This record gives sequence, structure tokens and C-alpha cells, in this order.
Amino acid sequence: MTKFIIRRLLSLIPTMFVIVTLSFFLIRFAPGGPFSAEKKVPAQVLQNLMKKYHMDESLGRQYLRYFGEILRGDLGPSFRYKDMTVNALIKQSMPNSMLLGTLSLALAVALGIAVGIVSALKQNKWQDYTAMSLAVVGISVPLFVIGPLLQLVFAMQLKWLPTSGWITDRAGLKTLIMPVITLSFPYFAYIARMSRASILEVLRSDYVRTARAKGLKESTVIGKHVLKGALLPIVSYLGPAFSGIITGSIVVETIFLVPGVGKIFVQSALNRDYTLIMGEVIVYSLILIVMNFVVDIVYGFLDPRIAYK
Amino acid sequence: MSTNIGQAVNEFNQQVAAVSLWADAWRRLRKNRMALLGLWVVGAFAIITLAAPILPIYDYTSQEMTHINLPPSLKSAGSIAIQKVEKRIVELKGLVDGGREDLRPEMDKIRAELESVKADVAKNPKSSKVYLLGTDYLGRDMLARTIYGGRISMMVGIIGTITAVLIGIIIGAIAGYAGGRLDNFLMRIVDIIYGLPYMLIVIILMAMFHKDGASSIVILFVAIALVSWLTIARVVRGQIISLKNAEFIEAARSMGAGTGRIIFRHLIPNTLGVIIIFATLSLPSFIMSESFLSFLGLGVSAPAASWGTLVSEGVQGMELYPWRLLVPALAMTIFLFAMNFLGDGLRVALDPQSKNRT
Amino acid sequence: MTEEVILRVKDLRTYFKTDEGTVKAVDGVSFDLHKGETLGIVGESGSGKSVTNLSIINMIPSPPGKIVGGEVLFMDADLLAMPANKIREIRGNKISMIFQDPMTSLNPFLRISTQMTETIILHQGLGKDEAKAKAIEMLKLAGIPAPEKRIDQYPHQFSGGMRQRVMIAMSLSCNPEILIADEPTSALDVTIQAQILDLMKDLTARLGTAVILITHSLGVVAGMCDTLCVMYAGRVVERGATDAVFADPKHPYTQGLIKSVPRLDVASGNRLSSIRGQPPNVIDLPDCCPFYPRCDKAMDICKRKYPAVSRFDDGRSVACWLYSEEKLP
Repeated sequence: MTKFIIRRLLSLIPTMFVIVTLSFFLIRFAPGGPFSAEKKVPAQVLQNLMKKYHMDESLGRQYLRYFGEILRGDLGPSFRYKDMTVNALIKQSMPNSMLLGTLSLALAVALGIAVGIVSALKQNKWQDYTAMSLAVVGISVPLFVIGPLLQLVFAMQLKWLPTSGWITDRAGLKTLIMPVITLSFPYFAYIARMSRASILEVLRSDYVRTARAKGLKESTVIGKHVLKGALLPIVSYLGPAFSGIITGSIVVETIFLVPGVGKIFVQSALNRDYTLIMGEVIVYSLILIVMNFVVDIVYGFLDPRIAYK
Repeated sequence: MSTNIGQAVNEFNQQVAAVSLWADAWRRLRKNRMALLGLWVVGAFAIITLAAPILPIYDYTSQEMTHINLPPSLKSAGSIAIQKVEKRIVELKGLVDGGREDLRPEMDKIRAELESVKADVAKNPKSSKVYLLGTDYLGRDMLARTIYGGRISMMVGIIGTITAVLIGIIIGAIAGYAGGRLDNFLMRIVDIIYGLPYMLIVIILMAMFHKDGASSIVILFVAIALVSWLTIARVVRGQIISLKNAEFIEAARSMGAGTGRIIFRHLIPNTLGVIIIFATLSLPSFIMSESFLSFLGLGVSAPAASWGTLVSEGVQGMELYPWRLLVPALAMTIFLFAMNFLGDGLRVALDPQSKNRT
Repeated sequence: MTEEVILRVKDLRTYFKTDEGTVKAVDGVSFDLHKGETLGIVGESGSGKSVTNLSIINMIPSPPGKIVGGEVLFMDADLLAMPANKIREIRGNKISMIFQDPMTSLNPFLRISTQMTETIILHQGLGKDEAKAKAIEMLKLAGIPAPEKRIDQYPHQFSGGMRQRVMIAMSLSCNPEILIADEPTSALDVTIQAQILDLMKDLTARLGTAVILITHSLGVVAGMCDTLCVMYAGRVVERGATDAVFADPKHPYTQGLIKSVPRLDVASGNRLSSIRGQPPNVIDLPDCCPFYPRCDKAMDICKRKYPAVSRFDDGRSVACWLYSEEKLP
């Protein structure tokens, strides 16, 4: 078991390495430097700037320098926000994004599973049809349509909720409601459909027939024999769901003006703020990779058929 | 009496006629009403967008500054303008009759304005334009923009899917068929690319290159195609590995069929079902990805527009001019709905294991 | 056969609604089961054997299935009319089942101990530890080596034969009156089959359990069963003591079945016979003997009406026009 975990951990290193290298060179080869927007910078100033950010060195040296800094946990200074380091910018915005992401994922999982169970047990009844119609909406309608529509209805027309903002605003926790609903909706929909399908499949399985033939109550059959097997696929979906939520949060943060990493990410991409973009990509990738790793291990613990050798 | 027996009543003693996978799938698809509806809607969208240049719609780029932010209507832009002034006059008249004598000069002024507007409308041929779905903030026809937006969105979807499927099939088939070290190597690459935060990399690519105008759409294709083939490669590889040792392949090989022939004549046709299902389900996801980028301002650049661009533009000012958001959002949603129903229907129809399920 | 009848199935009918029409999977099946008796139900796939037995404990998946008629009297109570909570007290307790595929019949996510003790705790009211002791004892009886250790393992750590032993141990753990075994050995290797059958025979004889053994193998029936029902297209076509049926099969279908079994005691060189044609599709069967298209002795009447059951002195009953006393029209 420990051996498996260690081996799995070691396999994360090449992925991280590829990500850092790829994004470094991708960005260095991009047309237009970070300072090209600032019109008519005197040559001397530009040279000083280049020197300050070590951009006068050879590409190889820059790469090695950057790699070394990353290993020490230093993502360097931001090109655009003059007095801020990337570490500070991410530190500032990450908690907000994490709060939004975690809440959305939790909501999607909890509601998705609950709705999936109800749908499966009431197959082809009105509860099932309602839930599955809702799920199709969630899968078909993009986030950036749902978000503005919610704003239009609940903030502008009904005036129940603030249009945008964050919990530090006057409206407080109310500002969380729409972003979380928007972000969790597609994943709620996927999880609901997945858990319904997989419960229905397990319900048809031989071992559930055995459990019924033993005279167990239907609630015991469902709770003890059906759910464990049926919900395992959901666990393995958590990795992709989390990665989707990270990307989705970029749009949601833009729509609802949440001061998170996603919002900075778009700005830094448009500003060509190299170090900031790279820092964000690295942090995001690290989170994703660790999340996938954790999901794998948890899955292994839950499924007795997987033996670690 | 005896004619009755052995036929008609029952399939006594008769083998059930063999049904090919495709005929069987089509039969099942036809029974699925939602999937069929999806097929019709997708077909209608395809025809409209393909025929866009010959449809009697306005140019999607032409701006009409006198016609900005007009709501959807069956009336011409000119008569809407006249109506607006007339309504204002009626309002004022009510106030004046109610004792607000001070507003009388204002009313007279607007009456004069009405005349000039009418003259203008009569003189200007553009006033006879009818905007069925309204106009945007530059006075462009929403109907035309939505149709042309759909053209770009669907093109992205189709090209993305085709590249994904082609690259995926080739890599997956090679890995699955060759096995051994090559397989290991290719799958390792797939694993690593899988680990990359796909959308973030696309965003970086788009951010770096999108300012170059027309080439942005090419970059978009490249960016999407770079990462989209992974799933199909895995699926094809898995299928091929499980089929590789099947008896019918064994039989083909024993009859002297070469590797290429086995892959393209036997293995790939047998994985076609899975590929079709994947393609129909990934088409909407490519459309979503593109719109997602366009929404962030990183997708196709003006004057071209995709559904995502239109939604993004519509969000600005949705409180006053909701149709600017609702029209493209609705068009896109209906298409994605239809695609998803069709994809689901195909999955059920083409999955032989679902044959006997209720 | 003077022993007490513990299960009486009367005119059982189970239909399935499908898109193509109503499938009469079981259409008027009747038989008795006596205490301690082993009854074999033989037939081709699709003849309604398994559906009959799922119907007995009212476990037909519904929809699409529905028991549309008949009675199943267990100790004089109709199982089909029983409320759900009452019949649950009987399932797994008085009547238990073993299914065909031991690889899928055990829950892969739960330990053997959990799966075995839940039945014992539920029906016998034992505590957890007592139930586990009982389960270990049953596993030992079923011939599982080192049961104290094995009981804490998961199903995937057992081979197919071992899993079927676990199933047998589990199904007999509450000392049921009746054990329904639905093709318990079809999915196993031939060498294991014999072991499992011997085990079942031995254990049920020791515990005095009556057995309904569903199989398509006449060999299994000959070695295991006291009485025998032959099913065809959802109906019992012949019923009687195993020895008598084998010695003198009455129904042409039974005759065909027995002739198609290879035998060592008959001079070699003869071709093995087979029944020509295919079993019928049981969707919307007309009123006729469903076997007539394959029958060498078919008469005109066979095509028009299903034969009534004829009884013989040795307790045999056969549904065939050859033996019918009814006037041929």
C-alpha cells in the first residue's frame, strides 16, 4: 500500500516538470513582450527593466533560474503589478477561489447524489422525469449563460440577491449564493445522471437479487448493498469535476466579480504578465494533480477489488 | 386452417432474422422520440447555417447607428421609431389635458419632430428594415448575427471533433495494435497531457496569439485539437486491445490479411460505434469550450462572432436590452440540448450491451 | 410420497410485457414439493424455469414482469398474497435461493462475514459474534478450508467453486425448509460441478431440506432428484418420479431429451439424436401445443388446442394429446 502511494507520488514529478517547462517556453516564444504595451519606453529604461527581470540572460539560464526559484517555492515578481510578488497575489486571491470551488463541489456532490438516488428509485415516475430534465439543462446550458440569467432574474428583476460582489461586501454571505449555484450546476447535473445510471445498473445486478432473496428490507438492500458499489464511479469522477470547477470558476468569477485567482488569471493572460500566468498555472496544476492523486488513493481504499502490488 | 399455422401468428420454428448492428441501432433510435427531435433540430440548425449566405437576412456586420438596441419586432425599424414618438405625444397630451399647461410647448415640439421623423423614414430606404430578433448596440441585426455566430461555433465544433477523432484513432489504433513499448510510450504521453490543466493552456495560447486577428480562429483550432484527442485515443486503444484477440481477427490473420488491412477493415469498423458516440457527445463540448473562450474575450475576434461572443456582448446591458442576451443564449442552448439528446440516443442505440435492457 | 406437502404451486402464470408483445414466460405451472424431497425442473433456456422459481418467492422484477394468476402455498399460506414484510420473513429464512453465477451473486464490496451474518442476524435474532460463529460453522460444513480466516475476505479472493460453496453455506445458514438452486453448477468447471452437487446433496439430506433444482442437464437430475418436472415454453409437459420418467418417458419432448443424452451403456456407433428445430418464441403464443412443429407424432389437434393433463397410475402427469381421453373433435 505505502509502496503504491510512493510510486504514485513519484509519477507526479514528470507531469509537473512538463507543465513548468511547457508553460515557460510557450510564454517566452509568444509574440509581444510584457513591456510592449507601455509605449515608447526609453531604451535605457527598457534595458533596466529587462535586467531587473533577468530577461537579458540566455533562455536556458532564465529557465534554470526560474526552476530553481520554483523549487524554493518562490514564483517571482509580477511583471505588471509592480510592487507585488506572484506569491502575494495568489495568496490574496486563492482562499476566495478555494472557498467558491469547494462549496460548489460539495453542493454538486451532495445534491447530485441525493437527486440521483431519488431518480433511480422512482424510475420513470414524475420525480425522475423532473430531476433528469433539470440535469439535461445543467449539462446543455453553459455556465456563462446560466450566470447572467440568474443575475437578470434574481438580482435585477426580483432584487432578492446582490448582482455581484464577494462576502467581504455589505451583502455578505448572500453574494455566495448565485456564484455557487452557477458553478455547481453542471457538475450537479453530471453527478445526478451518473449516480442514477449506476444505481440502476447495480439494482439489476445478481448480488442485489441475492440480497433480496435473503429477505433483507428494501432500505437495507439499497443502503448496504446498492449504494457502495453504485457510488464508486462518483469518486473517480471527482478528479475531472474538480478540474472543471477550476476552469469554470474563471468564468464565474468574471461574471460575479469575485476577487479570486480566476479573475486575475484572465487579466494576466491579456496583460501577458508572464510570471503571474506561470505561477497560476503551476499552482492550479499542483492542486489538480494532488486532487487526482487523493481521489485515486481514496478509490483504492473504497474498492476492495483493487489490490496494491 | 393450416395456412394460418407456421406463419403470421407466431415465429414458430423460424429463426429471428439477423439484424445488422446499424439497422438495429437505427430502429432503436427511431423509437427514441427525444433523440429524433434532437436529430431534426440539429439538422435544421445545420441547414440554416449552411444556407446563411443565400438566406434573405441582413449582413451581420453592417452597423446602423439609427437602429441601435431595437427590440425584437415584426414591424419595420421606421414604424417602430414613429410609434415611439407617437407614444410620447399621447403621454404628453394626457399630462397637458390634465392641467400641465407648461408642457404644451414640449408637446408641440415633439409633434413637429414626428413630422420630420416620418419624412426621414419615408426618405431612408433602410427604415423599412425589419429586425425580427432586434438589434445590438451597434445596430446590427441579431438574427443575422446569431445565425453567423452559430456558423462559427458549429464549425469549431465540427473541426475540433474531426481532428480529435482522426488523431485519436491513429494514436489509439497504433498503441493498441502495436502494444509493448510503443504502447507504453504513447500512453505515458497521453497520461501526462491528461494531467495538464487543459483549459488554462488553451487560455494562455489564446491570450498570446489572439490579437493577431484572423489567425485567432486557427490558433483556437490548434489549441483545442492539441488536447482533445486524448480521450478518443484511450477509448480506441482499449477497444482495439479487447478486439485484437477476438476470434474474427484471428481468422482474418490466418487468411493472410496484413496489419494495415486488419486495422482499417476489421478493427476500426468495429470501434466505429464508440467513436460515433464520442463524436456526438464531444461536439457540444467543443462548442462550449470555444464559447467559453469567446465569453472571456479570448475567442474569435471582431467582426466575426460566435455564440459565446454574442452572449458576452449581451451580458453588457442585459437589464435594459435583455433580448441581446436571450437570443444568442437561447439559440445556443437549443442546439446544445438537441446535440445532447441525439448523443444520448445514439449511445443507447449503438451500445449492443444495452440491447436487452429495459 | 406420503410425506407432507410443504410447497404447492397451483396454476402459476407470470407474464412479461415487452414492446413486441406479452411474453407468457410461465403459463399455468403446477407442482407439489414434499418435505425433504429433491425436485428437478428441466428445460431448455427460455422455457420458464427460472421465472417459475423467482415467482415462488415473489421476486419477479416488476415492471415488466407480473404474476397474473395462480397460488403458491407454503405451509398453507399463499406467498403471492402475502404482504411484503411477511414474505421477507420467509425469504432467506424458510425458502432460500442459490443462483447460477457465483462470480456475480456475492456483493464484491462486502466481506463474506458481513454477507453471511446479515441473514443470520436478521432471521435468527443472534448477536453479531454468535452469528459469526454460526457462519464459520456453516462455511466449515460447506468444505471451505480455514473458514475463520477466509470469512473476513472479500468475494474476489475466492475461486468460482469456493464462492458457490459460500453461497450454499449462506443459503443453508438459517436451516430453510426449501432450497431453490437455479442452475447452481452451470457456470462452473465440470470437475467442480460434481463436488458442488455432492455437497448440496449431502448437506440438504443432513438438514432435511427440500430442494428445487433447476437445470438443463438431465444428467444432474438423474443423479440428484426424486421427482422431475419437464418444462417447455412456460408449461410443465411431464411430471413424475425421476426413475419412472427416465425408464419410460411419455411426452415426445421428454423422449427427445432423454434420447439426446449420450450413454455409455448403449452400443456405440449409433448417432446421438437431437430434437430438430428451435424452441418457440413465447410471445403471444396461440392456443396449441407449442411443441408440435418439432414433434414427430404431431396430429391435427395439436395445432389447435393445448392438451389437458393426463394422469397415470404411477403418479405421472403428462400434457400431450397422445394420452388425452378428451374426445378429439
